[in-house]
Amino acid sequence: MQTQYGTLELARVFQWLHDLLVSTGIPEPWLTVVIYGLLGAMMFGVLAVLALFLVWWERKIAGHIQQRFGPMRHGWHGWYQTIMDAIKLLQKEDILVETRDKPVFFWAPVIAFVAAFLAYIVIPFGKGLVVADLNVGILYIIAVTTFTVISLLMAGWGSNNKYALLGGMRSAAQVVSYEVPMVVSILTVIVFVGSLSMVDIVKAQSGIFVLDWNIVHPLGLIAFVTYITAATAEANRTPFDLPEAEQELVAGYNVEYSGMKFAMFFLAEFVNMFTVSAIATTLFLGGWNGPFLPSWVWFLLKTLAVVLLLMLFRWTFPRLRVDQLMEFAWKFLVPVTFANLILAGIAKYLGLYW
Amino acid sequence: MSKLHTEEFVVNMGPHHPSTHGVCRLMLTMDGERVVKIEPVIGYLHRAIEKMCENRTYVQCIPLMDRFEYVTSMSADMVFSLATEHLAEVEVPERAQYLRVIMLELNRIASHLIFYGVTAMDIGALTPFLYGLREREKIIDLFEMTCGNRLTYNYIRPGGVSKDIPPEFVPQCREVIKLIRSKLIDYEGLLNENPIWLARNKGVGVMPPELGISYGVSGPVLRASGVEYDIRRDDPYCIYDRFDFDVAVRHNGDCYDRYLVRLDEIKQSCRIIEQALDGLPEGEFKVKKINPFTFKPPAGETYARIENSRGEMGCYLVSDGTNKPFRVKLRGGSFNQLQALPYFGTGGLIADVVAIFASIDVILPEVDR
Amino acid sequence: MTRDDLKDYIASHFGDKLTALDTGRYDPLYELKAEHLVEVARALRDDENLKFDFLCNIGAVDTTEHFEAVYNLASTTKRLRLDFKVIMSHDNPEIDSVIDIWPGANWHEREMWELFGINIRNHPNLTRFLLPDEWDQGFPMRKDWDAPDFIRMPEPET
Repeated sequence: MQTQYGTLELARVFQWLHDLLVSTGIPEPWLTVVIYGLLGAMMFGVLAVLALFLVWWERKIAGHIQQRFGPMRHGWHGWYQTIMDAIKLLQKEDILVETRDKPVFFWAPVIAFVAAFLAYIVIPFGKGLVVADLNVGILYIIAVTTFTVISLLMAGWGSNNKYALLGGMRSAAQVVSYEVPMVVSILTVIVFVGSLSMVDIVKAQSGIFVLDWNIVHPLGLIAFVTYITAATAEANRTPFDLPEAEQELVAGYNVEYSGMKFAMFFLAEFVNMFTVSAIATTLFLGGWNGPFLPSWVWFLLKTLAVVLLLMLFRWTFPRLRVDQLMEFAWKFLVPVTFANLILAGIAKYLGLYW
Repeated sequence: MSKLHTEEFVVNMGPHHPSTHGVCRLMLTMDGERVVKIEPVIGYLHRAIEKMCENRTYVQCIPLMDRFEYVTSMSADMVFSLATEHLAEVEVPERAQYLRVIMLELNRIASHLIFYGVTAMDIGALTPFLYGLREREKIIDLFEMTCGNRLTYNYIRPGGVSKDIPPEFVPQCREVIKLIRSKLIDYEGLLNENPIWLARNKGVGVMPPELGISYGVSGPVLRASGVEYDIRRDDPYCIYDRFDFDVAVRHNGDCYDRYLVRLDEIKQSCRIIEQALDGLPEGEFKVKKINPFTFKPPAGETYARIENSRGEMGCYLVSDGTNKPFRVKLRGGSFNQLQALPYFGTGGLIADVVAIFASIDVILPEVDR
Repeated sequence: MTRDDLKDYIASHFGDKLTALDTGRYDPLYELKAEHLVEVARALRDDENLKFDFLCNIGAVDTTEHFEAVYNLASTTKRLRLDFKVIMSHDNPEIDSVIDIWPGANWHEREMWELFGINIRNHPNLTRFLLPDEWDQGFPMRKDWDAPDFIRMPEPET
């Protein structure tokens, strides 16, 4: 169906492309394959560029917080530093331990990388810019973000290194524990909106700028705070990055990986960070709603703001010990999020949600 | 159901590790997640400084003393010079004494700033390291202005100091003290009340005071356990009895108190430096009659000790009347603290061992010499 | 109490065991016989007026005629300082361990054994720690120790 989009909307470009492909006359099943294949490739390209940008941005932010500049040599303020680092990692020797579990060791970074990208199928980048508007969009995202646990366990096991195994188990335990508050925070928003589809959630927040966003409602604010905390732990970032910190003895699940395999884990972490920020934007900050600027610009700005928040956490806070981390999840976050969910249900029933 | 068979295993926190300050190896015996035994293995940095000192004249030993404790090398020079002056019974001029006090206290502040940065980095907060070193750069600039070196100063010599301060030293020093005072408020605001910092440090690695005294632990580690023992006040050397300062003491003996004691000490050092700058007299900066080549103190032996930022630093010096020392035995504060570590560092997780090791602020050159 | 008071007190209470020496500068220095070491050390630590609970340092000296072990003590509560030394013979130097009195003597005594070859009786763990594990070239801090690459500095021109 044709909907009219504003002038600077990217959706016009995609509509034009779609019309172009339809007009080439390729028969039906192949046409869908071609369209979605192209979409997948484009998505992959966009996210790869985004990951590179995020790595550069993190190093600049870290530098400026620490009163130094960060990368400055490669290009204006070091903008192609990450590309140089990727080239360097590509030509590094792929050190393979003889006693590793070969298939497991090989597939772990692949699964990590792929799982990071799977969630983007349902995230709306702007008005009309969603690859597939599943009506169970959020449920799909929750299911897919759990895939990373498998890759952590595979990396820990496949390295044939007892410290990597311990680190991998710890990471897996952490991710699985923080899934619960994350999902329950998301459920709070679902209760308000009444639909699992991402596009519906964004549309429910259209209206008055800011005041219609889910974050403004007090229960939505609590849900946002708990979601961001749980998401930081999901993405294995400080203050929850004990399993992968260098100062600790148990060096973490990716200790035996070098070169491009290591780069895959590394980039997957940044893509994950963008994923959780994108979900936060969609659920709490109004998605692509906003005046004057095109919708995809609003989406990018809001998501990058959340990413900035996560980066500021990393460079300010010390890290929690493993037992404190788990205690925090189970003894504090889970009761709070459940209480919030119950209150949200009551509020919705009483009509206190606008 | 029969009890599951468990056994303890040994984890090696090797000599090369981002958290051991220098090359120290800790063999941790673990029962599950808990650390049951810690055994420090040292000797990776043994350079035979004491034997080398027997082969050099007294003034030639001073650069060796710098390397004995390179973070606070002014104190290391000081302890050897003090011992030499006890033997030779010379009177150091007033101006030199004041300059020594200023340099020693500036060095103490620099060392505690490094402690602040490195401890925060070990616990995971990566930014305070850069803040601490940024302030230390200002202090190092002062040292570079005076003696030309940034780390090993070779400045405090037997009989005085090696050079006089340039005229721009005093106003710049006052600026630096003002800056450090204001930045200290920032540092405290960043970490003191942070729940994660408290959770990692409070109640971790409690050292009972009797354990500390019986193992010879001194300095901020002992003062954090409630023992008010500071050589600058109890056994004053080098005109410290003329200055008015408090001894920083806390009573819980955990990592958090050790951190707080050092921040308090920075404030007290700022007070001492200001008083010294106010009272700095004119005059000679070294005793003329000590000729570096022919200086022969009379035969005898003495033990000189000073309050270093890591505890008591001592030098037992034996002279046989020649121009070279007969025996130099150096004692650093970290030696005894590392010895006592197995007795209060166990019972926690590995992450706790990292936190405790960072909080006792061990410097390996002092241990190995 | 002041240094002179301390000297009088030691002379009156421990005069038979601790003999005053005059080579010590700045702090009182005494000589002690090896067989009285443990009991005098314990008495010094437990004495009400002295309370030397802090062992600063144990240093060993190789004067070419004999070995000396010098103990530097301090009191954390009474602001006192005392040194005493124990003289041992040059062949087969042996001394008791004061680990029961000041546990902090552990590593100091281990170092004495390792670098000088002074045997410490009753020490729980006399193993190498400063030198490499496979060191077999004798006791380096002794005055008669020499090694092929130990270069003596030339006398400076005056």
